[in-house]
Amino acid sequence: MEQVEKMPETEIAEQKSKSLWVHAFYQLISDPFAKVSFIIVALYALVAILSGFDIIAGNWDVQFGEGYSAPSWQHIFGTDLFGRSVFLKTVKGTEVAMSVGLVTAIISMIIGVTLGATAGYFGGKVDEFIVWFYTTVTSIPYIMLLVAITFILGKGLIAVYLALGLSSWVNLCRLIRGEVIRHKDREYVHAASAIGANEFTKLFKHIVPNVLHIVIINFSLQFQVAIKSEVILSYLGLGVQGRPSWGTMINDAKQELAQGVWWQLAAATLAMFVVVLSLNILGDALRDALDPKLKGKK
Amino acid sequence: MNDEQKILEVKDLVVEFNTDRGKITAVNGVNFEVYRGKSLGIVGESGSGKSVSALAIMGLIPNPPGRVKSGIIKYHGENLLDKSVDEMRKIRGNKIAMIFQEPMTSLNPVFTVGNQIEEVLKLHQPELSKQERLVKGVEMLSLVGIPSPEKRYKEYPHQLSGGMRQRVMIAMALACKPDILIADEPTTALDVTIQAQILELMNKLQKDLGMGIIMITHDLGVVAETCDDVAVMYCGKIVERSDVKSIFNNPKHPYTKGLIESIPSFDSTSGVARDRLPTIEGMVPSLFDLPSGCSFQDRCEYSSDECRGKNGSPTLTKISDGHKVSCFNPLQ
Amino acid sequence: MVAGDPTQLLLGKHATAKQMLELKRELGLDRPFFIQYLDIVKSAFTFDFGRSWSTKQEIIEMIKIGAMPSLTVSIPAFILSTIVSIAVSLLVSFFRGSKLDRFMVFTCVAMMSISSLAYILFAQKFLAYELGLFEISGYESGFPYFLPYVLLPVLIWVVLNLGPDVRFYRTIILDEIYQDYVRTARAKGLSEKMILFKHVLKNAMIPIITYVVIQIPFLILGALLIESFFGIPGLGGITLNAINSSDFPVIRAMTVLSAVAYIIFSVITDVLYTLVDPRVRLK
Repeated sequence: MEQVEKMPETEIAEQKSKSLWVHAFYQLISDPFAKVSFIIVALYALVAILSGFDIIAGNWDVQFGEGYSAPSWQHIFGTDLFGRSVFLKTVKGTEVAMSVGLVTAIISMIIGVTLGATAGYFGGKVDEFIVWFYTTVTSIPYIMLLVAITFILGKGLIAVYLALGLSSWVNLCRLIRGEVIRHKDREYVHAASAIGANEFTKLFKHIVPNVLHIVIINFSLQFQVAIKSEVILSYLGLGVQGRPSWGTMINDAKQELAQGVWWQLAAATLAMFVVVLSLNILGDALRDALDPKLKGKK
Repeated sequence: MNDEQKILEVKDLVVEFNTDRGKITAVNGVNFEVYRGKSLGIVGESGSGKSVSALAIMGLIPNPPGRVKSGIIKYHGENLLDKSVDEMRKIRGNKIAMIFQEPMTSLNPVFTVGNQIEEVLKLHQPELSKQERLVKGVEMLSLVGIPSPEKRYKEYPHQLSGGMRQRVMIAMALACKPDILIADEPTTALDVTIQAQILELMNKLQKDLGMGIIMITHDLGVVAETCDDVAVMYCGKIVERSDVKSIFNNPKHPYTKGLIESIPSFDSTSGVARDRLPTIEGMVPSLFDLPSGCSFQDRCEYSSDECRGKNGSPTLTKISDGHKVSCFNPLQ
Repeated sequence: MVAGDPTQLLLGKHATAKQMLELKRELGLDRPFFIQYLDIVKSAFTFDFGRSWSTKQEIIEMIKIGAMPSLTVSIPAFILSTIVSIAVSLLVSFFRGSKLDRFMVFTCVAMMSISSLAYILFAQKFLAYELGLFEISGYESGFPYFLPYVLLPVLIWVVLNLGPDVRFYRTIILDEIYQDYVRTARAKGLSEKMILFKHVLKNAMIPIITYVVIQIPFLILGALLIESFFGIPGLGGITLNAINSSDFPVIRAMTVLSAVAYIIFSVITDVLYTLVDPRVRLK
């Protein structure tokens, strides 16, 4: 009897997943929008890092002169109440934005994937509990959830990270759970024999390629939702202290607009607009490239 | 074949598709005819172009990315490819109908069976009253052998089995008494016993209603059951064409012979007692990467330099009455 | 502002530890969380939410008064945005792949890339103040007096939801368009318009209805931000004030209210699902 190395099905599945990634890569490369968006996001990330190490925008809190001076050649975006350069503040604010996006997306991903996979894989009471849990979380309006969490955690950047991360994992959890359940059924139909570790690794091998694209797409989505939500937190007074963030800048505009000062709002909104739009486009391109169902259709 | 009985003629049909990896010619110069009351089987593996040819007749080639590059599809003396979108809509479902492979998903899940049959009648026979449509619809269901048709009429697709859904599809297709029925792998997704029933049904309906049938399939067993003529397709071209008896008893193209030999059989009617099921070696070449010369050369045990050469691919030539083959070294 | 011992906040900076402890006992904040939870559940059923700490009003009265203004903004906004979003998605799906489609998708995405706060501030400053097209803020109850005050809030709500809604509906509709039954419908000779409006729409309605109905419970609270900025004395504004002043009973009440509403509408959605999708009819 011949020794069968791999079940042909596994091979086909692996081939499919390999070709999916390769196909996705080529599709992304060929899409000009995706390329530009990626470059923009990378640029923002670079700015955030440089700013974080004070290589640029280190002098953001220097009071250059008159408060509330309009945009000019000296200060492209004018100055704020204390005469600080709005442009430099915007650049410095990139740190908060990108870090909030990244950390929140990571937290949300870890919780969502863990709970979703656990619920899907184990089923039964575990599943019921997790489903009950996330249904409860969803029933609370987003803003109130944010408030509740920051109330417990206090203020500050870490609290912002956690608050945003803890309130945004449900969607991913649902999706992962669905996929795990779907694949789990399929596996139990096909695999009549082996139990235990063998089954688990097979399950893992099949699920991961199908689920990874959901995770990636969700990641890019959470990233930009977090950036926008930081603004809301600032409005509620729960935002970042001690350093500029686009959220606090937009929030400050509340009073400023009444005095005809529009440039802080404009600068922060513009900076956010460009990066969030790019993340959106990138996320869409990733989805189109990675979703196996969408292959060949637009 | 009596020309008066000819209802459809496809001449030099070429259909292209634009994909991100390049342009492929799914159908590359195909010719066939359909006669009243007779069934033409188009046989081939996936990618042979058989479904695309059918879609071209129906005017259902998705554009983009596909388009009919050239050719003539003659129906009632007119070229269907010249017709406008609206004109084709009047023909589709009415004069030329098509049924597909997946009965499970080909019916709309949120409308009743009756509603979907009536839709075809409402569209093409607007002079009928609601009551008349209902009567006709139930009639069609009973014609295709569905028991308790009045009850089934009000049911939803998910309440019916696969075999019954396919019968419903046939009922919908034949409701307006078309001249031609195109069946694209109608039984592939069904159990073997149900398969036999459906094919039997189609044969009977053809006898009663007299339409021409184009049966698209990869299964030679189906061809043997239902077809009068056969066209074998490979990589977008017809490699052999004849009546069904000649194809089975006297195949001239190595591919056809390979297909016939790979039908599992217990008796040795093909004259060969065998322990192992013969298969055609190799795989169908990708349409992006067809070899120059005959497309079948890499899998053919009779291929010669001529097949691989610069003479291009062989053309369909007459071997005997009603039997054409496209091969540089046809079997004797 | 928000983080801090509630009793300290109530009593002020000079409260002693003893005073705080006493107040805690009075308010029941020293009881185990479990008991507090039961209390919340009880209040959900009896609608007795207690009194607000800041305004000392009975919360149930506050809710009654605040509900109307919230609804005068959220209901028209909801209806309008749903109709517009579905209409736009149908249009865009019909012309899928075309320049119009791509332009609309891009526009939706771009609109989603601007913070809601920015929209509100911009609208207030430029459309209301500078151009004087709308009322800046404020409210007058009673029909039709509230109309000029809700116009801009409703408009902003629609604009805020257009992007994500159209993207969602478009995805749903396109998913259906690529189904096999659409191919069958084409083979029958149906026009693309018929296919979209009869076959596709009815199937797409199933997930769309779920999506739409589940938004309803959140209408009750109204858009917290919009109410706050436009001075609409609705439940959202009340909630936000309560958050700002750490008014726990109110926050708790609002949370319970929205949770209960969510549960009710989840059930409604499930029931609706069985009505609309013949595959899941309750036997």
